[in-house]
Amino acid sequence: MKKMKVEERLTLTKFEVYGEPHIILRREKCKGCDFKICISSCPAGLFTLDETGEIKFTYEGCLECGTCRIVCPENAIEWNYPLGGFGVQYMFG
Amino acid sequence: MSERYDVIVVGGGPAGLSTAYFLADHGYNTIVLERGSEPGSKNVFGGRIYTYPLDKYFPDWRKDAPIERWVRREALSILCEDNIVNLEYEIDRKPNGYDSFTAFLSRFLKWLALKVEEKNVVVATNVRVDEILFRDNIAYGVRIGDDKLEAEYIIIAEGANTLLSERHGLRRKISPRDIAVGIKEVIRLGREKINERFCLGDEEGLAQFLIGSRFGGGFIYTMKEYVSIGVIYRPLLNNQIEAKDVIEELKIHPHLSKLLRDGVPVEYSAHIVREAGYSDLMHKPYGRGYIVVGDAAGLILNTGFTVRGVDLAIESGRLAAEAIHKTPPGEEPAVYMKLLREKEIIKTLKKFRKVSKILSNERIYTKYPEYICQILDKIYTVDELPETLNESFKKAVGGKTSIIRLIFELLTMVRSL
Repeated sequence: MKKMKVEERLTLTKFEVYGEPHIILRREKCKGCDFKICISSCPAGLFTLDETGEIKFTYEGCLECGTCRIVCPENAIEWNYPLGGFGVQYMFG
Repeated sequence: MSERYDVIVVGGGPAGLSTAYFLADHGYNTIVLERGSEPGSKNVFGGRIYTYPLDKYFPDWRKDAPIERWVRREALSILCEDNIVNLEYEIDRKPNGYDSFTAFLSRFLKWLALKVEEKNVVVATNVRVDEILFRDNIAYGVRIGDDKLEAEYIIIAEGANTLLSERHGLRRKISPRDIAVGIKEVIRLGREKINERFCLGDEEGLAQFLIGSRFGGGFIYTMKEYVSIGVIYRPLLNNQIEAKDVIEELKIHPHLSKLLRDGVPVEYSAHIVREAGYSDLMHKPYGRGYIVVGDAAGLILNTGFTVRGVDLAIESGRLAAEAIHKTPPGEEPAVYMKLLREKEIIKTLKKFRKVSKILSNERIYTKYPEYICQILDKIYTVDELPETLNESFKKAVGGKTSIIRLIFELLTMVRSL
């Protein structure tokens, strides 16, 4: 099987994307954080560092696993589920 | 939704749907509120369900439940760089004698929701509950956007990610140490290839636990036409590989890549798993007007060899329904805890309380697989100068760790399992 990047793997899963993010990152709280464990532990790879070294986050491929909320040591993540009916749609689960 | 209900169930997963199912038997007018567009569309698990609660409470469930395969082969495998060490147990049972089957949770929950709806319970989808409403510490309803819905009881069946319970202070904020992330891929391989490559008959399935130095813990479950593979990723341990890459890491292992050749991935999913076991169990999973069931209450059991979630969810749902039935109006449903104790669910969780500590010990994923593979490699590599087991052991382990520490750790582990 050929190696798949996470962006490609996420296209397998069905999403009903809502117009507004359900997770809000308070980037000002990330400044003092040395761990940035959100980057390594998001299974969808939605947390990345931008050119300036700040954390960037997109919500569209969110698998709603809940990991980032729990691992963030700075409480920088305002986590909610997407509005009813929106977000990830698991067919197998 | 202006009608008044006796009970509102928050969450249409295994625990929530089961609670509603049993409440209907006691004559309660119940509504299940599910945020997904269909029951099961937000749920993820490994791939196995134990049959005993279904046999007990769901007559004729075998006729129409979405059973993929009956688990005939149980395997525990250690994956090293290119090698694999297998421990297998094959069960040959009479038809209907198997005690677990493989399944897809989303499909199983659609089936369970139908069973619930047959009892005239409303399962409302696309409904996200934003708040549980309390008045003088008594839960009396839920808020959904600008709408309110009231009931005598609220069943909190929100699953492992206990957002609402934490928001309302019913449970402390979950610690990163207490969770793992189940990361899974479903791969279409076709029935024939699965039967051939995994040595299975048409209805027979494999449940395999994996331990690997590169990815931590993992699993394989064979379905009819698909294979579910997954990793139990521990954010605080698996630092050399990022969570988004662990599935690929698993798939490129020579053993798995052979088994899964030509497979077509069809779904990628992830969900947190509560791993702390007994210490994570809610001390008081109830209060005036509410009961917490399933994963949300910490009712998940990992024995080190098997993981039980769905069956405990069903049992807790049944007990919650019974507790509501037995509690006089205005009182706390404390009988719920009593029932959990009587059914020995609490005792069982307590019995396995040390397992989570073992599973969060990095050495069982790094050092031990390495030792075992090296020792076996030495034993089975034949040249002019064969080594005794003792020599192989010393070469693999010696220098890297003290033998006394190793023995001590192993003993502790065995005693905890």
